[in-house]
Amino acid sequence: ETWDMPMAYSASNFHSATGAEFAQCVTTGTGGEIEIVTHPSGSLFKGADIKRAIQTGQAPIGERLLSGHQNENALFGFDSIPFLATSFDDSAKLWKAAKPSIEKLLAEQNLTLLYAVPWPPQGLYFKNEVNSVAEMKGIKFRSYNNATSRLAELTGMLPVTIEAAEISQAFATGVAESMVSSGSTGYDRKVWESLGFFYEVDAWLPRNYVMVNSEVWAETADAHKNVIKGCAELAEYAGNWRAKEYTGFTLQGLRDGGMSVGPASEQMTGELKEIGVTMTNEWLEAAGDEGKAIVDAFKASQ
Amino acid sequence: MGVLRGLRAVLDYIYRLAEILAALCMIAILVLILLQMLARWSSEVFPGAPEYAAYFMAAASFLGFAAALNRGSHIRVSLLLNAVGPGMKRYVDIWCFAVSAAVVWYFCWHARQFVFWSWKFNDVSQAQDKTALWIPQSVMVIGGVILAIALTDHLLHLIFKGEHRIQHDNVETQEV
Amino acid sequence: MDYVVLVVIFLAVLFLLLGSGVWVGIAMMGVSWVALELFSNSRTIGQDMVSQIWSASKSWELAALPMFIWMGEILFRTRLSEDMFKGLSPWMAKLPGGLVHANIVGCTVFAAVSGSSAATLTTVGKMSIPELRKRNYPETMTIGTLAGAATLGLMIPPSLTLIVYGVTIDGVSIIKLFFAGVLPGLVLASMFMIYVAVYSKLSKSWNPSQEDGMSFMDKLKNSRFLIPVILLVLTVIGSMYLGFATPTEAAAIGVVGAWVLALIQGSLNWQTFRDSTIGAVRTSAMIALILAGSAFLKFAMAKTGLPKELAELIAGWEFTKFWLLMVLLVFYIILGCFLDGISTVVLTMAVLEPVVREAGIDLIWFGIFIVVVVEMAQITPPIGFNLFVMQGMTQHEMGFIARAAFPMFMIMVLMVFVLIAFPDLATWLPDNLRSGPGG
Ligand code: NA
Ligand code: NA
Repeated sequence: ETWDMPMAYSASNFHSATGAEFAQCVTTGTGGEIEIVTHPSGSLFKGADIKRAIQTGQAPIGERLLSGHQNENALFGFDSIPFLATSFDDSAKLWKAAKPSIEKLLAEQNLTLLYAVPWPPQGLYFKNEVNSVAEMKGIKFRSYNNATSRLAELTGMLPVTIEAAEISQAFATGVAESMVSSGSTGYDRKVWESLGFFYEVDAWLPRNYVMVNSEVWAETADAHKNVIKGCAELAEYAGNWRAKEYTGFTLQGLRDGGMSVGPASEQMTGELKEIGVTMTNEWLEAAGDEGKAIVDAFKASQ
Repeated sequence: MGVLRGLRAVLDYIYRLAEILAALCMIAILVLILLQMLARWSSEVFPGAPEYAAYFMAAASFLGFAAALNRGSHIRVSLLLNAVGPGMKRYVDIWCFAVSAAVVWYFCWHARQFVFWSWKFNDVSQAQDKTALWIPQSVMVIGGVILAIALTDHLLHLIFKGEHRIQHDNVETQEV
Repeated sequence: MDYVVLVVIFLAVLFLLLGSGVWVGIAMMGVSWVALELFSNSRTIGQDMVSQIWSASKSWELAALPMFIWMGEILFRTRLSEDMFKGLSPWMAKLPGGLVHANIVGCTVFAAVSGSSAATLTTVGKMSIPELRKRNYPETMTIGTLAGAATLGLMIPPSLTLIVYGVTIDGVSIIKLFFAGVLPGLVLASMFMIYVAVYSKLSKSWNPSQEDGMSFMDKLKNSRFLIPVILLVLTVIGSMYLGFATPTEAAAIGVVGAWVLALIQGSLNWQTFRDSTIGAVRTSAMIALILAGSAFLKFAMAKTGLPKELAELIAGWEFTKFWLLMVLLVFYIILGCFLDGISTVVLTMAVLEPVVREAGIDLIWFGIFIVVVVEMAQITPPIGFNLFVMQGMTQHEMGFIARAAFPMFMIMVLMVFVLIAFPDLATWLPDNLRSGPGG
């Protein structure tokens, strides 16, 4: 049996590499009875279509950045609240606190979670040096969803919508001058050609989730289920390790490209934390009791 | 015969209406892109503009399909159709319309289910517009059905009247 | 050996549907359906079809295409295109090849405005075909050079293909790719022009109407007719490079600019507005149906794994750099007959990228190599995008257009060897034009 596994990022991205190893592990472990074939670069389904494709059984398994779906349910955005969990350790604690709710939510959507791997922490990219929130006023900031627009609004920046394909060109021509993203996105997109500064504010660490269609999962033999679970555990471990390694690697890459890379000024960090509190509260309003339980459990574990 | 004439008028009206709506969608794309640009230049925000433009893009295409068919704008390879005699040509054309109508009706059937699932799953746009996706997707189904009706219309015409109703078909006017 | 059966059945169905005259977009859907039914484990083919078509149809980047088509329709329906030829013809009439060069120059200039070859083809073709016909130029040359030169839209920046390539491959800068495309684009355009010049000298049937002899001052005076279109082109390009607009937005500026020119010229009225809008709706619907078909075909190919399998076959052999490039050239020409260029890049690069890296091939250079090959795919039958667009515009038979474009295909093959012999063509500009932060 062949399981086609759509993935959104290019084959050399560390998430795709982790996925490819997972696929290999399952194929070997089940003696080829379940062969997982990965399709990176959105070559089978585009990122935005992957969750639905697994839900409907068009793809038995796949990987998706779930925070992309927070318009559908605010809970999906738990890993993208600015300045709530700002390190790999905190992010792991937050994930532990949220896992039961997310698994329940996914189960309602005919999805079974296999593993999740974080992205490197999100930092702020700017064309010119910025040392306080006041200095951000009026800067054209690339927003791609409601949370990033709100972040722009609260910092006084001007949110401009730039589609992913137009990012590099938008920065080169000055249509946009700033964005929030991980070091790896900036590294992949070679943004040092247009942008000068990366501030490691570690705003949040979103995760990619590998999910399987629940009906397909129910039909899978127990022995195979165990193999897949084992491979998933390995993949999660390897992915976490890679994410940490990759953080340092991409930041060095940005430096080598000529960008100034470092922590934000104390003043800016403090101001951003305050904005984080505002946005956490707004998220809590949208996510209701379940969201509150997640944040409370996370704070208790810190 | 009165019923048929009435049906003919209704169908032609639907094709025409779809084309006008498609043209309006095209104007909407232009306006949305311009508004987004003007908003940015004046430090304002127009959230979701690219998504709305994209929905209108899909709507313009699907609503324009039938009219493009009736005007002979859609492309087909005319090698065989030009090589055979008029009697044979009619059978080849019947085959083409039958296959095409079948494919498009198949598409419409599944598109209807696709939209139903969008509605049932509460599939909303992942961008700032937060649009419930079944709304723009419904336009795709409507446009698809109009195309399927047009293809069937031509097919029946071809079977019972001996010729289809495509104007300026690129099959008929060619060669230097 | 499953794949041999797949290829045979795929080709048989494709030729049956396309050959019998089923509309191209629908034929592509049909063949995809058969391939999925027979060679995939998908139990949701109908849903796959709809989700791929929906996802391809609602695209923001795609919205630039109808805008450029609309702009072409406006220019065509007002006196602007006629004026442009009034300005150009006295200068070009004396060149060997005459006004056919206007096709190539027009495409090269418009390639800098738009990132797609279909937009370049419709805009330039709408204007130049009637004028060249009026002057009795051989139809094969008019059509062949247009179909070929319009593919420059993919090489000269901005370019959608280079963006997709740059995003698919890590470590390759899109800006550098854009720079890399400039010189090869100009060289390729010159090669087309040389071909036209030589052909005009050798062909016995070359007998276009002669332009009236004009003094130099008269020529200069006539050139004023060029000013409006030059202004329009500069506005659109300028809006992109000065940071006022993204490429998609620049297309909208082009439409407004064309309206403004028509207004100033006094040719804007309800009739031209209605006709150009309806014309643009029909042309973009025609293109959208083919894009819908190719989205489903791309999915079917990904699902059956055929392109990936072939790429893995190539990756398994050991080649020297030159022979690797030759094998890839043949591989992409064959794939390009059946898939559009961007799909071939997305479907095969994951497998071939390591092979190319390992062979020590510069990835910027390889991007330009890929673009030339993708350009070829636009004009190779049975599925060649520019052939379809050209058929829609001229009503000629597909075979006639493909034959007319064949010399351009050969010139592109020659271009690959030029690139191999002079790799600096692609790498010199990006290496020497470093744009630092803010530059
Ligand atoms: Na271009
Ligand atoms: Na082709």
